[in-house]
Amino acid sequence: MFIEIRNLTFKYRNSQQKTLKDVCFNMQKGEILSILGESGGGKSTILRLIAGLETPLSGSIIVDNKIMFDSNTFVIPEKRGVGMVFQDYALFPHMKVDENIKFGLTNLNKKEKDVRVLEMLKLVNLQDFSSRYPHELSGGQQQRVAIARALAPKPSVLLLDEPFSNLDTDLKSKIREELKSILNQAGITSIFVTHDREDVKSIADKVVTLKEGEILKSGKLEEVL
Amino acid sequence: MKKFKFMKYKPSSWGFLSFISVLLVILPCMYILFHIFDKPNGNWYHIKAFLLKDYIINTIKIVIATGFFTMIIGTTLAWLIAAYDFPCKRIFKWALILPLTIPTYIAAYTYNGIFNYTGVVQIFLRNVMKMNLDPKYFDIMSIKGVVFIFTIFLFPYVYMITRSFLEKQSAALIENARLLERGGSDIFIHVILPISRGAIVGGTSLVLLEALNDFGVVSYFGVQTFSTAIFKTWFSLGDTSTAVKLASMLMVTVFIVLITEKWLRGRKKYSYTTAKVREIVPVKLKGVKAVGALLYCFSILSMGFIIPLLQLSHWSILTYKKILNFKFVGFMFNSIWLSIIVAVLIIVMSVVIANFCRINSHWISKVFSKISIMGYSIPGAVIAIGVILLMVSVDRKMVGIYKAIDSSSKTLVLSTSVFMLVFAYTIRFLAIGYQAIESGFDKIGMKFSEASRTLGYGVTKTFFKVDLPMMKPALISGFALVFVEIVKELPLTLILRPFNFNTLATKTYEYANDEMIHEASIPSLIIILVSIASIYLLYRIENKERR
Repeated sequence: MFIEIRNLTFKYRNSQQKTLKDVCFNMQKGEILSILGESGGGKSTILRLIAGLETPLSGSIIVDNKIMFDSNTFVIPEKRGVGMVFQDYALFPHMKVDENIKFGLTNLNKKEKDVRVLEMLKLVNLQDFSSRYPHELSGGQQQRVAIARALAPKPSVLLLDEPFSNLDTDLKSKIREELKSILNQAGITSIFVTHDREDVKSIADKVVTLKEGEILKSGKLEEVL
Repeated sequence: MKKFKFMKYKPSSWGFLSFISVLLVILPCMYILFHIFDKPNGNWYHIKAFLLKDYIINTIKIVIATGFFTMIIGTTLAWLIAAYDFPCKRIFKWALILPLTIPTYIAAYTYNGIFNYTGVVQIFLRNVMKMNLDPKYFDIMSIKGVVFIFTIFLFPYVYMITRSFLEKQSAALIENARLLERGGSDIFIHVILPISRGAIVGGTSLVLLEALNDFGVVSYFGVQTFSTAIFKTWFSLGDTSTAVKLASMLMVTVFIVLITEKWLRGRKKYSYTTAKVREIVPVKLKGVKAVGALLYCFSILSMGFIIPLLQLSHWSILTYKKILNFKFVGFMFNSIWLSIIVAVLIIVMSVVIANFCRINSHWISKVFSKISIMGYSIPGAVIAIGVILLMVSVDRKMVGIYKAIDSSSKTLVLSTSVFMLVFAYTIRFLAIGYQAIESGFDKIGMKFSEASRTLGYGVTKTFFKVDLPMMKPALISGFALVFVEIVKELPLTLILRPFNFNTLATKTYEYANDEMIHEASIPSLIIILVSIASIYLLYRIENKERR
């Protein structure tokens, strides 16, 4: 298995109840998994745990045969090689589009960086926007920059937190198609969080449904929905 | 790869530096605590028998009266400006902050200069109106005068906090009350006062902390309070143990103010939970009411800004030839470099502590954050005593090292240098820098640094590449706020300055105390101009951010 999540349990410091209880799932390389559930159900928390932004109470996280977390391991976020697209994208406002994408390319020389940035811009179809600032882009364009930025360092897995929540409803179907084609082209193992069944149907290979921190169902798209 | 599992970020240089900074802040206060129960001496018995009652009564009178009047003026002005439209309202809205730019000690001697026998008021009545009134009617050098000065020059704290609360939070409630056909004053008493209780109490407690910190006004007016007593026991009697006892009593008063604030605020916090922020639509006043509102605002603004400023300008024209010389440039230079050094130091410390606190949700970060803002509620005189005691004892322990470096070295090195002043300023004003930086971090949130970390950057690199560039407005605001406070600061500077070291503030105080009121006007005006410039800068930054 490429990603193995075992008995993941988590509680926020200031809350009484556990946000996640014994969450388990597996993924093959290149699969797209969707975590479906109501808001406040702990969906985004799973992503934050995989990224290393929160520490689980117990359980284990294995990505690409490397232990990210278990009872005596905790790999800090910058060492995990996990890409994340935040709900409101978190594009650095003081950097242009190409600088944002270049940000994570620390191990390359200047020329290699430029080549990679161009590849990414092509992938998300924003070649002409490289020297714009984030606030000069539409919501959909910002999202594509965020995806490009997360994919640029070639992460082992891409995490997307509610990728459609900030977009107009009438744009949604178009952007779903775009996202699907980007993810397929990149061939990246991805996990995305959503509360909308339509998102799941049009993009995911696999689904995990979550309610109040516990998994209700999980499996192939056609088995679950 | 066993890492600190319970902390998602490993212990770092950030934590270490924060710890050192916080320790420095708390050390002098601890020192005072350790000396509270030292065996009292003769001075203490003398003070306890004959003077202590006066100190306590005077302090209580000042606190209660100042609290009462600032509350009334601050709240009514906030309500007028937030809920009504009348001529010149737009100007008053920001101009009513201006009294804060005049330090209270400058206000005190200026008003004394206006009202004393040779001042403009009595001369006018004597020479122009041919009225011979008893000068005692014009004597403001009393507790009443102190309260007047504090009220007129500190009310903007209440005004600012209450107004911004009313403008942002209360629209729906006030409009509802209006729809229920309640009149203006009715709404004010039954709706505005209760809902803005938290804001009013918060502003008033700031005023009272300033009043308790004050030394300049009470000493100039000859009113005996804890601050003046601490100074006297320290300077005239050289008696630290009594000074510490007085300082600790003053601290108790501060705690009472802070606890009362907590209690009066109750469970009501500044902000309401509704996410919708809609500004209140002001009602247009007409006729007599409009004129009344205009006059009320104008008279407060005149007393708190226009009159003193005109008087100071007049005096400065009379004396600038005498004052502006090479020596004066030296005082100015002292003020500027001291303020810059301390402001930079405070901003760096604030950034370190605030960044540590925001990436660690551990209880330690809460403690650090509380300690960092503690200094502002401790009166200058108390901090001064703590810092002196600490530095003298450090010096005594370091004598060996001093002598090894320079065999003719004196025993007291740190405690006679400007280092002590820098240290004390840092403790007292760290809160101001820290709060500016903290609110800057709050504004940008965690998502950008989290994004940076998932892209392979550690805490420190993330800080320099992502957080710092986005924090620019907060850094500038924090710097400006601290800078002004230090240019204005009086009590700490008076106690802790090295021999013969003067700043604009101490020079102002010396001139005024030596009955050279006119001469004090130039340094005063410079201090006021610096304050106005910084308020303008903050206003610009805020406007830019809003856009």
